Amino acid sequence: MDRSGAFNKPASATGNGHPRKPHRRMFLTMTGGTFIAALLPGRSAQATGYATSAITFSGQTVIVAGDSVRSVDVSTGTTVDLTTPERPVHALAIHPDRPDRLFAAPEDGGIAQSNDGGRLWHSAGNGLPDAQVTALAVAAAAPDTVYATVSGDGLWRSEDAGGTWSFVMDRPWIEEAERDVLALASVNLASGMGGIWLYAGTETGLTRVPDCFCRWQDVVAGDAMDALVAGAAPPPEAPLPEDEPVLALVSAHAAPERLFAALPSGLWASADGGVMWERKSSVQVRALAVDPMDPGHIAAATDTELKLSRDGGANWATLAAL
Amino acid sequence: MRMRLLTIAGLAMSGLAVAVGAETQQAEPEPVTFLGQIIAPEQITRGEVLYAESCASCHGADLEGAPDWRRRNANGRMPAPPHDKTGHTWHHSDRQLFTITKLGVGSVVPGYESDMPAYQNILSDAEIIAVLAFIKSTWPERQRAAQAGINESEGEGS
Ligand code: HEC
Repeated sequence: MDRSGAFNKPASATGNGHPRKPHRRMFLTMTGGTFIAALLPGRSAQATGYATSAITFSGQTVIVAGDSVRSVDVSTGTTVDLTTPERPVHALAIHPDRPDRLFAAPEDGGIAQSNDGGRLWHSAGNGLPDAQVTALAVAAAAPDTVYATVSGDGLWRSEDAGGTWSFVMDRPWIEEAERDVLALASVNLASGMGGIWLYAGTETGLTRVPDCFCRWQDVVAGDAMDALVAGAAPPPEAPLPEDEPVLALVSAHAAPERLFAALPSGLWASADGGVMWERKSSVQVRALAVDPMDPGHIAAATDTELKLSRDGGANWATLAAL
Repeated sequence: MRMRLLTIAGLAMSGLAVAVGAETQQAEPEPVTFLGQIIAPEQITRGEVLYAESCASCHGADLEGAPDWRRRNANGRMPAPPHDKTGHTWHHSDRQLFTITKLGVGSVVPGYESDMPAYQNILSDAEIIAVLAFIKSTWPERQRAAQAGINESEGEGS
């Protein structure tokens, strides 16, 4: 509940777009791999393998972001360097209807936006608190609506493609504490409240909120209406393992009930909007993306490789070294 | 007071619409319905009184909600949201609103802990409906239409 901490950053860390050293302190809020990096003083992020933190499909390529931003051709594996950001990128979001418009969360706060597929970037975090943006998502049914979760703070929304931001919801409350969101997915399934769902992966599992932002709640069978009829909702029968962080989470654009999640225990898939989960592979994944045209076509970044699966995550082939 | 202002505003607007020749606008505001039933104006007035007595202390005399209502209290629970167009009450169907008010939020989102009291032993069903109909009567047309749509799709779903 100590929200103030997020704002007590040194003056040197305020403002966007200034070259700066990675803040090791900020790594502490991140995932297991980067947590290790935080414990190795004097090493650069690159040297400790902080290479890739986010990927997304963009037309016939996968955009790979981390210390640099690259595009990898899906059929040939040809890699093109797009840009080297001043700060490493922690999260990335795109809408399939705007394949050239990228939103990225640079290290230490703010949001960067590119309108040309990742070559030129400008700051688009107007109004956001000055703290690490931990996850990003573009609303599945509204390409100009973007969501960002801020470490130690909460969920923010822009309805004008990153122009202005407003606070919509506190962070999820799970097991007696507010939890940072590590992964965010706009899931185009009816909430029963006139909109759709926003799913969040946290350090302590999966949760979701309807996009009217009334309350974070567990994923249960049926839509929110069923959940709201007292006692009607059966408990989830095959949830994700408890007490594992959800490091990456995606919903297939063409089949939104199909979800994929990266956990330390491997890659998990759900075909029913997150009620029943099945572990598809033990592959250790840092970042995930699903092809908007093909729900079985998944890209995953490991520490060293960009991998592709054509069968929903069971079998993987290496597309490029990272 | 608020009701009267809204009515005046509504009349003024529909007067204007007539003046500019739009035929679709009605002089009378649409009657408030709840669970498909038209709620009589006396019931709404009763609901307004009940709201002031039972709900306003948390949800605000003008339905404006608790200050900073999007941020949790220290105990992790959410403050009372507004019931006007700035809140999310209008995103819930009549049935959901009734169930939440009668049984509390915790009883409808399994395991959810909330400071919203359950009114089942405090207000009768008719009184709960009157309060909620009053709340609905304060919504602008956009929110009323959106909520009517949610009622409809819920009806289709079950
Ligand atoms: C003791 C304070 C308190 C009183 C009195 C109170 N409420 Fe609430 N109410 C809350 C809180 C807090 C919430 C938010 C619950 C949550 O999400 O945790 C809430 C939520 C609600 C909701 C759900 C809104 C939404 O969009 O999710 C409805 C409906 C509601 N209240 C109706 C009423 C009505 C009608 C009355 C009077 C009969 C009333 N409340 C009296 C505290 C109160």
